[in-house]
Amino acid sequence: MTQRIQVLTRYFFRRLVFSFSGLIYMILALAFWAVLFPPTQQTPDIAYYVIVIGAFGAAISFLSTLSIASRANEAENYPVIVRLPGRIEYLTAVLVSALLFTLILQLLVALLALFRGPVLTTGRFLELPPLWLSVNITFATLALHATDFVTAGWSRVNIYGILAILLFGQSNSAPASNWLAGQMANLSRFFNAHGWPSIAQYASRAATWFATRGPDSLREFFGVVFWPFRAMSEGSLVGRFQPVQALAPAVLLLYASILFLLAADFFANKDLDFTE
Amino acid sequence: MIKITNVTKQFYSLTAIDNLSLRLPQGEVLGILGPNGAGKTTLLKLIAGILHPTSGSIQPISGNWPRIGYKPERLLFPNHLTITRYLELVALVSNVPTNRVARSIRHSLQQTGLETMAHRKIKECSKGMRQRLAMAQALIGNPDLLLLDEPSSGLDPHGQAEINQLIRNLHQSGKTILISSHRLREITEVCTYLVILNHGRILYENSMASALAARAQTIIETDKDLSPIQDALLTLHEDIQIDGNKLYLRNEAMRLRRQALVMLLHAGYDVTHVEQRRKTLAEIYAEAVQ
Repeated sequence: MTQRIQVLTRYFFRRLVFSFSGLIYMILALAFWAVLFPPTQQTPDIAYYVIVIGAFGAAISFLSTLSIASRANEAENYPVIVRLPGRIEYLTAVLVSALLFTLILQLLVALLALFRGPVLTTGRFLELPPLWLSVNITFATLALHATDFVTAGWSRVNIYGILAILLFGQSNSAPASNWLAGQMANLSRFFNAHGWPSIAQYASRAATWFATRGPDSLREFFGVVFWPFRAMSEGSLVGRFQPVQALAPAVLLLYASILFLLAADFFANKDLDFTE
Repeated sequence: MIKITNVTKQFYSLTAIDNLSLRLPQGEVLGILGPNGAGKTTLLKLIAGILHPTSGSIQPISGNWPRIGYKPERLLFPNHLTITRYLELVALVSNVPTNRVARSIRHSLQQTGLETMAHRKIKECSKGMRQRLAMAQALIGNPDLLLLDEPSSGLDPHGQAEINQLIRNLHQSGKTILISSHRLREITEVCTYLVILNHGRILYENSMASALAARAQTIIETDKDLSPIQDALLTLHEDIQIDGNKLYLRNEAMRLRRQALVMLLHAGYDVTHVEQRRKTLAEIYAEAVQ
């Protein structure tokens, strides 16, 4: 199993590296470094270094997973996938090759950014692998669900729909809460008018709750999924992680595991319709 | 080797395979014939595990699931690789031990006549060479079951004969092979078992030897049109057919050859020619599909 995954990983990795997309990603990485870490300017902050290169890794892992998955989804691979005892090996190879490609570009930018860049102490250096890798892995597994390669039925719409709702709910909690407060107030008036004062009272309380504590509670509710990202960026900005914040990479890896298991299930049970 | 039980495969409203059951015994070369859209490629993809049945099951008859070598109909390859590199990829993915990969590649190249082109890039290969390469990759790793979709299309007559010989050799070495093809001659030459498929259903299945032997016919040619005594002749057997001055006796009706001849002579006909021949695969196919 390990040999087969290694062989396929090497194959997909080479396909991306020696392709036009691979060249574009390389140019993108250098442009990113030149724009965000210009060597002619003053030394950037270490927190800036950790967060910006972490975000770069997230973007590249997402994009490179899409690129490799589209190559893995070509009809020329039918004879190869037929030979595998399980499709999960194929999917693992796609994920690992994308992560490997991301890691190389991220290391390149990270090393270049150290040129007239921040002083990286051993303590801060040891923070980097769990922070960057957990983000990369999460974004790569998320990207798998965006591809035709893995998606089955409405799975893509469901996963990205839930994500969009959570993002929307988090950033628009105040208007949403005010709207809900208005609806509850209307409901309260309706029940009062129809002679149900006890139910009207519950609706009135709910309207008050939405008007006062609603925005914060809704933001917390919708934003709970994004807590690891907040915790990691806060810890990086402060320069030290609270015990709870230190769990953030592990939580992200848990998300990644769930997303990968879902992807593996979709991929194993779908009809392969590779592009010709 | 493989047992297909009540398999149906639907793509939205289209039923590609319709409640099909079939046994693929060890060591047989099973040929699947059928018009375009009959479900041949879908059946191969179902066995290869590329598609999943909507209902029904595909299971090994005994023991483990066989190792499969699959040659798709479309000749698509990673064009940037050389032939050797591609075969190496397939070999390593097929669990061929690292120290045997080179030998396995050499063997499959020899079998398919590609040994002089081993280091050529796939994008430089002609259609015939790509067809051979598709066969070569299917043979890598000595799979138990070969699924060959149109194995000799695009090859010149010499190439077709070579591939047919290769399939015969593989059969002799005990391989189980499933071939989907439009080429009746190819099926006749290499297959030991015949399945005719249309609209996802099996219309006819038999061992090739039985199919060609059991379906013999006698043709009696006379000097005059047989219409005047048609009714009398047809009372002899339902498998009698009349076409102008020719009388066809098929299957069981062949036993009545003597009676038919006597009837013709009594009626004043002169028998000009009597021929006994086996039905060709083309006739079996046409009959089944019609």
